[in-house]
Parts: sequence; C-alpha cells; structure tokens
Amino acid sequence: MDLTTIVQALISGVLMAGIYALVAIGLTLIFGVVRIVNFAQGEFVMLGMYATYWLWKLWGIDPYASLLITMPLLFCFGVLVQRFLLQPILHAPDLAQIFMTVGLSVALMNAALFSFTADFRSVKTAYAERALHAGGVTVPVTRLFAFVGALALAGLLTLFLTRTDVGKALRAVAQDREVSMLLGINPRRMYLLAVGLGTALAGAAGGLIVPFFYVFPTVGVVFGLVAFVVVILGTLGSIQGALLASLIVGVAESLGILFAGADLGLVMVFALLVAALVFKPLGLMGQA
Amino acid sequence: MRRAAAAGLFLTLIVLPFLLPNPFYVHIVVMMAVFAVLGGAWNLIGGYAGQLSLGHAAFFGTGAYVSTLLVNATGISPWITLWLGGAAALLLSLPVGAICFRLQGPYFAIATIGLGEVLRLLVLHFREVTNGAQGLTVPFKGEAPWQLQFESKFPYYYIALAMAAAVVLVTRRMERARLGHYLVAIGQNQDAAEAIGIDSVRAKGQALALSAFVTGVAGVFYAQYTYVVHPDSVFGLGMSIQIALVAIVGGVGTVLGPILGAAIMESFVQSTQIAFAGQYPGLELIVYGGLLMAVILWQPRGVIPWLARVFRRAAARRPAARGAQA
Repeated sequence: MDLTTIVQALISGVLMAGIYALVAIGLTLIFGVVRIVNFAQGEFVMLGMYATYWLWKLWGIDPYASLLITMPLLFCFGVLVQRFLLQPILHAPDLAQIFMTVGLSVALMNAALFSFTADFRSVKTAYAERALHAGGVTVPVTRLFAFVGALALAGLLTLFLTRTDVGKALRAVAQDREVSMLLGINPRRMYLLAVGLGTALAGAAGGLIVPFFYVFPTVGVVFGLVAFVVVILGTLGSIQGALLASLIVGVAESLGILFAGADLGLVMVFALLVAALVFKPLGLMGQA
Repeated sequence: MRRAAAAGLFLTLIVLPFLLPNPFYVHIVVMMAVFAVLGGAWNLIGGYAGQLSLGHAAFFGTGAYVSTLLVNATGISPWITLWLGGAAALLLSLPVGAICFRLQGPYFAIATIGLGEVLRLLVLHFREVTNGAQGLTVPFKGEAPWQLQFESKFPYYYIALAMAAAVVLVTRRMERARLGHYLVAIGQNQDAAEAIGIDSVRAKGQALALSAFVTGVAGVFYAQYTYVVHPDSVFGLGMSIQIALVAIVGGVGTVLGPILGAAIMESFVQSTQIAFAGQYPGLELIVYGGLLMAVILWQPRGVIPWLARVFRRAAARRPAARGAQA
C-alpha cells in the first residue's frame, strides 16, 4: 500500500470528522443541559437530509442555501420534542428517558419509510463531480464544503455559548441546575433552547452531506451510533472533547475501511469505544 | 386461591393449542412464549438490576448462529447446541459486563447497541463462514425429534412453554435469593449498595451472564423453529428493542411482567401485520414507536404497576362498600 492511498484515507477521515462533530456536539449539548441521552439524534440527521432533498427536488433550492430553511425548521422540531416528549419525563426513571427517544427514533425512521419509501435518493448538483487534486490525492469539493460548513457552525455555536448572555445561561444550567435557578435563569427555557440547537445541528449535518451521500430512511442509524462513540470518547457533555474525538473517530473509520474493508469502518469505530471504556471511561476531557 | 389460579393458568396453557382454530394461531402462541422467554431474560438485567440493554439481539443472534453453524458442520443434535448456543452468549456477555459495569450512566445501553451492530456487520463481512446477508438455513429433516424438528407446531409450543416456565421459576428463585436482593439494592441506589459491601460489578455481571445464557438458548430454539437465521433479523436493533419492550410493557422487575408483555406485544405485532398486510411499509412500526412514547408519557413505570394499583384500589373499596350495606 503506497503512501498516497494512506494520505487519501487520512484526508477523507478528517473531512468526515467535521460532520460527526456536528452531530455529536448536538448530542452532547442535549445531554449536558437536559441530562437525557438522545437515541433519536441520528434520525434528526435523516430529517435534515430529507428536508434538503425535497427543497432541491421540488423547488431546485441549492443544498447549502437550504441550511437557512432546514436549520430553523429542525430547531422548531427539537423545541416541540423537548416540550411534549422530554419535559414530562425529566424526573422519570432512566428506563422512561431512554425508551422515549428510542420510540421517537423508531417512529421517525418508519415515518420516513412510509412517506418516502425505502428508495435511495440523491441530489445532483453542478459541482458534485468537481474535485481538487494535489500530488495524487483527490479532494471532492462537496466533502470539503461539508467540512468547512461544519467547522463554521461549530465555531458559531462556541461563540454563542461563550460570548452571549443566553449562551452563558445555557452553560450555567449545564453546570448546575439549582445554582442557575438561583441566578434567575429559567431552566425550562434553556432545555427548549438546548434540544432545539442540538436538533438543528444534526439537521445541518444532514444537509451538508446530501450533495455526496444517499438519502434513505435508515441513513441516520450510523450517524447516531458514531455520535455516541464520539461523545463518550470526548467525555459526555464536553464540546471541545467532541471536536477532538470526532477527529480520532473519523480517521479510525477511514483507516478501518482502508485496511479491513469497506463494510468494517464502523467496527473500527466501536473498537475505539471499547478502548475508551477500558482505558479512559470518562473520556479524553474527563476528570475523576 | 393463588394456588388454584396458578393451576388453572397452567392447565389453560397446556390445552391452549388444542383450542386454537388453525396452525397460524399456534404459531402466534409459540412466538408469545419465545418472547416471554426473551423478555424474562432481559428483565433479569434490565428490570432487577436496572441496567438497560439495547443489544440483547447480540446474545440472541449468537445463540442462533453458533447452533446453526455447528448443526450444519457436524450434524450434532440441536438438543446439545441449545446449551452450547447459550454458553456462547454467556461467554460473550462476560467482557461486556466487566467493561461496562464499572461505570454508571448510559454507557451500558450505548455499548450494547454497539455490540449488536458490530456482530451484525461481522456476520455480513465473513460470508465464507456465515453466508453473509443470505443467512443460514437449517436443513429440513421432516419429523425428527432428535434434530429438534417436528411437522406439527405443537411440540415447539410445549418446548417454548417449558422454557418460559423455567425462566419464571429462575426469576422467582433469583428474586428471593441473595443475588436478587443485591440487584434490587443496586438498581435503587448503587452507591448505597456498595457502601454496605455489595460487589455491584460482580452482581450485575452474574445477572447479565444468566440473562445472556437464556437469550442465547432462545436464539437456538428460534433458529430451529423458523429454519432460517438472517443477520438483519437476529442481530438487528429491531430485535433488541422488541425484546426490551416485552419486559417494559409488562412491567420491569416483576416475575410475570414479561409474560403479560409478550402476550400484549405479540398480539399487537401480529394483528398490525395482518391489518396492514405489507401494503403500507413502516406503518406498523410508526404505531409501535408512537405507542411506546404514549405508554411512557402515560405510565412511565410500565403497565403492571398501574394494573396492580387499580386492583389494590378495587380491593380496598370492596370491604368498605360491604360495611356501608351493613
């Protein structure tokens, strides 16, 4: 195996890592603030993909421009999920919390199957085939755009969380619910905001990959699973951790595909999960 | 009174297949018994110890594949692979328990989803051994009791029923033994349980091993009963969710919950399948997911505790009403 192939795999892994980071940041934000593990996060990615696909198919809207429509749409969807499905069970046992989002995931996946059939759909843009070439390495522009878009959104979120009052309030709730209430923050509003943002980020990740990824009802499953590994490796609740871990996971997956076979990328990702649980159970950012 | 009710239930279950109009209904009660076994197994770790597995398909599929591969390669009797399949699932569960049970939090649920998915991908990948996506078939031998094959569905029903009865007995025993008390203590408050000297990793590991063994045995039975083993059906997330739901709908941490859950879920699944008859792909699972959310919103602790409260209230009202008449 020559060096170019390996460099190519590394670059592919890093570019995909941006997307994984976006899905995982959404997941970790919801967990950090609301303390619920969202087993439907992958299905939020799927919703973002279908929304983008239909906007393109029906009205010819460019997938990247669609972000301006799909992100607010998914934000609202997330707010509704929090208000009507998660809020009532915030203090319920783990069992209710886990299976609420599992139920949501099953319902959404099959709603997509029912409405849009199991067909694989794809968006064809003028720039889909364009690529950058350098020293035998090829970088498709759509993958590059996805990476840059993901990083830009992650950067915007970080600015929002660190520079604005609302963002700081959100972090305060994540750190300590009771103390934040003493400070006059209404945690219920912050929960709505957190789930809304987490859902919008997953939807954005879906929109960003549509130019080079097939859309089908169970497409979200893999993204949900990868996001779990990323948030555990990067410490539950930590955004920087999710960014770092997604890089590791993205590269591990693409090296796994290169060395073990196209169908075993996810197995490599789970090998990382096992390693994380054995050697660093609290994740890269974890402090005992 | 209790004993009479139990004897009546037992007799009903024995004669049940003779009362059913055709083999299709016998098939449904066989599947109910299989899911009662699976839900009961899940309940040992998910209900009593509060460790929610979303990957019991991993143990189910391991039993089904190990047995079918052995039967096809060596011609060994499935009555023996029944135990070997269970043992393989038990072995698989040991590292899972050792790794996950040191941690508190959602790690076990996430790791078990991963386990099922990894096994599914590996089975799809190593197709020289596993036949990949086509799956494996058990060669049909006609009426061959030593090969765990019967022309009638009745023997399958009685075997599945015996397995379900065994799970009920094991659960009752465990509930009253030291392990059961340990698990309930851990499920309620792990730190407090450890403070009084309970080794929580060990207790949860034992419950998971037992649960995995039973699930693996059920996987072997399922392979023999249906004659086919498909990676997507036996290792799929759908199977894991279905197993968990049986216990949850019935009521976790109760001996009879999974039986009630299996009866409810399987009637529901079969009737929606008949009603929609494959014309509307996905519709039954939309209803399934929707009902799951509705039940959680309505009774976050399951149906059995709710039923128990209703009965208790009714029982409390009766003497009072009699008193008023006198």
